[in-house]
Amino acid sequence: MKALEDLLKVEDLRTYFFTEAGVVKAVDGISLDVRKGESHGLVGESGSGKSVTALSVMRIVPKPGKIVGGKISFDGTDLLTLKEDDMRRVRGSKIAMVFQDPISSLDPLYTVGKQLIEAIRANNETVSKEQARDMAISLLSNVEISEPERRFNQYPHELSGGMKQRIAIARALARTPTLLFADEPTTNLDVTIQAQVLNLMKDLKKNFNMTLVLITHDMGIIAEMTSRVTVVYAGQVSESAETHTLFYHPTHPYTEALLKAVPRLDKRKQLQSVGGNIPNLIDPPTGCRFHPRCPYAIQICKEKVPDYEEVETDHFVACHRWKELSLVGVQ
Amino acid sequence: MSQLTEEQTAPPKRVHRQRSATQWAVAWRRFKRNKSGVAGLAIVIAFVVFAIFGPLFAPYPPRSTESLLQGQAGQPPSWKHPFGTEINGIDVFSDSIWGARNDLWIGVAATAIATLIGLAVGALAGYSRGVIGGILLGIIQFFFVIPTLLLILLFSRVFQVLVYQGFGVNLIVLILGLFGWPGISFVIRGEIFRVRELEFIQAEKALGAGNLRILFRHIVPNVLTPVIVLASLLVAGNILTEVVLFFLGFGPANVATWGELIEEGVQYVSVYPWVALFPGLLVVTLVLGFNLLGDGLADALNPRLRE
Amino acid sequence: MIPVFIGVTLFTFLIGNAAGNPINLIRLAFKGTLPQNVYLQLVAYYHIGENPLIRYLYYLWDLIHFDLGLSITSQRPVASEIGPWVWTTLYLQLSALALALLIGIPIAIYSARHQHSKSDTTITGIAIFGYSTPTFWLGIIFIYIFSFYLRVLPSSGAVSAITPWWGNWTLDRIAHLILPMTVLTYVQLATIIRLLRGNLLEVLKQDYILAAMASGLKERAVIYGHALRNAITPIITIIGLSLGASLAGAPGLETAFSWPGLGYEFTQAALALDIPTVLGITVIISVMVLVANLATDLVYGFLDPRVRVS
Repeated sequence: MKALEDLLKVEDLRTYFFTEAGVVKAVDGISLDVRKGESHGLVGESGSGKSVTALSVMRIVPKPGKIVGGKISFDGTDLLTLKEDDMRRVRGSKIAMVFQDPISSLDPLYTVGKQLIEAIRANNETVSKEQARDMAISLLSNVEISEPERRFNQYPHELSGGMKQRIAIARALARTPTLLFADEPTTNLDVTIQAQVLNLMKDLKKNFNMTLVLITHDMGIIAEMTSRVTVVYAGQVSESAETHTLFYHPTHPYTEALLKAVPRLDKRKQLQSVGGNIPNLIDPPTGCRFHPRCPYAIQICKEKVPDYEEVETDHFVACHRWKELSLVGVQ
Repeated sequence: MSQLTEEQTAPPKRVHRQRSATQWAVAWRRFKRNKSGVAGLAIVIAFVVFAIFGPLFAPYPPRSTESLLQGQAGQPPSWKHPFGTEINGIDVFSDSIWGARNDLWIGVAATAIATLIGLAVGALAGYSRGVIGGILLGIIQFFFVIPTLLLILLFSRVFQVLVYQGFGVNLIVLILGLFGWPGISFVIRGEIFRVRELEFIQAEKALGAGNLRILFRHIVPNVLTPVIVLASLLVAGNILTEVVLFFLGFGPANVATWGELIEEGVQYVSVYPWVALFPGLLVVTLVLGFNLLGDGLADALNPRLRE
Repeated sequence: MIPVFIGVTLFTFLIGNAAGNPINLIRLAFKGTLPQNVYLQLVAYYHIGENPLIRYLYYLWDLIHFDLGLSITSQRPVASEIGPWVWTTLYLQLSALALALLIGIPIAIYSARHQHSKSDTTITGIAIFGYSTPTFWLGIIFIYIFSFYLRVLPSSGAVSAITPWWGNWTLDRIAHLILPMTVLTYVQLATIIRLLRGNLLEVLKQDYILAAMASGLKERAVIYGHALRNAITPIITIIGLSLGASLAGAPGLETAFSWPGLGYEFTQAALALDIPTVLGITVIISVMVLVANLATDLVYGFLDPRVRVS
């Protein structure tokens, strides 16, 4: 397969939250490269720093969070050194994002139409209100919403969860971005609706010629939707590979644990039992952050931070013992 | 011990907060981190100590006009009279100390009465659907509509003229208590509605748990949080009301309160400004203390407001 | 609404009859010596001798016809006295409220966006002083400084009796308004900042704020268009409800400035045991509060589509 060129390259990103209780190192050295046109999965438990990575790329990390280090380049531009005004022009037009909870990601006080028009006309006032209206209605049909004219005038609370998420997707697509972050886009939806929304995203990705970064904790969705995966644990990358490779030849014990937690028979279910708890990110474990929960941990895991090593082309892992362990993937 | 196990096996619901001993400890730890809340607590404790022991050291008895005879009326602050004296020779410092005792008593006792009534009415209104619940809600709303502060003034005046003058500050305690409960009962009613709809309470009901058991094991602990916060804020409100009431001349005669001193000070503010100044500063400090305490408690006890 | 109205009128009727009938209360104001002609007038007016239910119905009938009886101190109809008092109170309260909103909204936004910063701590500190201070006491301090010491502003009333301040009757009204309005603004500011800051902190955490930022909107548009609107909508209710309360809520402040509004006049009437005036003010305020609540509900329904009646 011909190597695709990088669209987004994140290097050693650090985003900390300066809370009263202490500094929460939500993202503590995450690196990521997303290639033009691919569907890239970003997987890990909640609180592992997946969403904060996306917010950092868009530079909309809410207070008291702050990007304290790293480099983010997008299509050759260094995003972290852009002026706020220029960065704002990137948001929505080049990079867009769909949020996890459709209930809270739409403003309850405005109609669907108003919110779509607002997104269409952001930094783009040459579009007249009438044009924006037509564009909004066609966006609604793009995301397969029936009776778009009627939905246009409705408020979020009058719509179902699946419908709201479609509208949130439509808003993200308003200015045909090159890169779309989808942060757990189906987690809060019913199972049947989940499948519909995922299919819709597949189609839209093709039709809009987008690159997709899908953030999820669900290995089933990763298998179905993505071609490459980056696994994050406690604010750091533990493994990254092509999806197929990751599923059949995992080299990180955390990946193995995630795969074990996936129910068989192609049924999707929430990730459950990776034993133990997500570590405290104010005072993270020494050495490899996964060692307290790792069944293979030895002394060195507690003492030394593992290097991020290349297993083979396009396959990286941060584990002291990857060479000696033979981990079980999907059979 | 069996109760403990039951509590542990209760399904963990995010919105429902079981108040076990450890959770009080957590709340206390969180409260301690809140500097302004701790400052409020310190102010309140200082005033309580001051109100209990201060009178032992008060230079004059309450309302004493002794200084008048010594030609010391209307004196500015000095070593002998740290807060000065007013026109009748009353030592403002001395009466401020006695006033601390009376003001705290009014604030706390009236709040205690209001909280008890509020709890009872709120619980009844939250528990009874239908006619009784409707009537109680109507009564609570009625209190939100009438001009409570004005009626407190009127009742104090009419009672003293028509019925009896000798109750002293306890008349104010009673009236403030009788008018202070609707806010508390409204919140309790809402909280009971919220808690009793929670799934596991429904489940317990289905398993045949009695109303009383549910009330004491689940609803009381949940309702306690807002009640503690509201009570703290109500003490602040009651002290402010007391001050206005005395300032406007509706207080019982011959009791030493900060409001009474301020009233006397205001009449001669152009000549003896210190008479209104010092008791006023005490009022601001104590009320501030209770408000800070209430806010701090609200922050510490309500995890929903914090990350 | 109607049950509460009946409750309120029943309540004032019962207070009026607390001593058996209103005349017994009115007698107190005359220190026991009620002239015979006045007595006979009152017997006729209050329908003494009828049973209490009939008397209550007469009371309601009079109320609906805006007849609140005669003031004892002024011997004029209470209803015609109350009108100017309502206006004087509203004029002070509303100007203070408008000013407080104007100043308070930007401050609250600043404070919420810089949570835990030094300026945020200072702002919340000043705010908490605002609602811990008796308004009238602050008023007295202002009077002492600006009227007695600096002699730059009038200390009492809403308007001068003979010569206007600053040489003109409009400026004279403004001169009288400044001190009480400033005190009241400070107190209302404290409440607005406290509530709005709290709501904003909640709203700013919502995904729709992030989503709006992510669509490339200007931060200003996100803050004013989305965050502020969501944070202030519930406060409209509180302002509406407290507007009712503030009709009566400032007897201390009004008395400190001898501001001839409802609170001050109520206080005077209650001290003089002018029962018809006292009960008249009570009923009028209650009815105005009821109307304000109703209006608040309507405005709220307009602002928040979720509570719109289907």
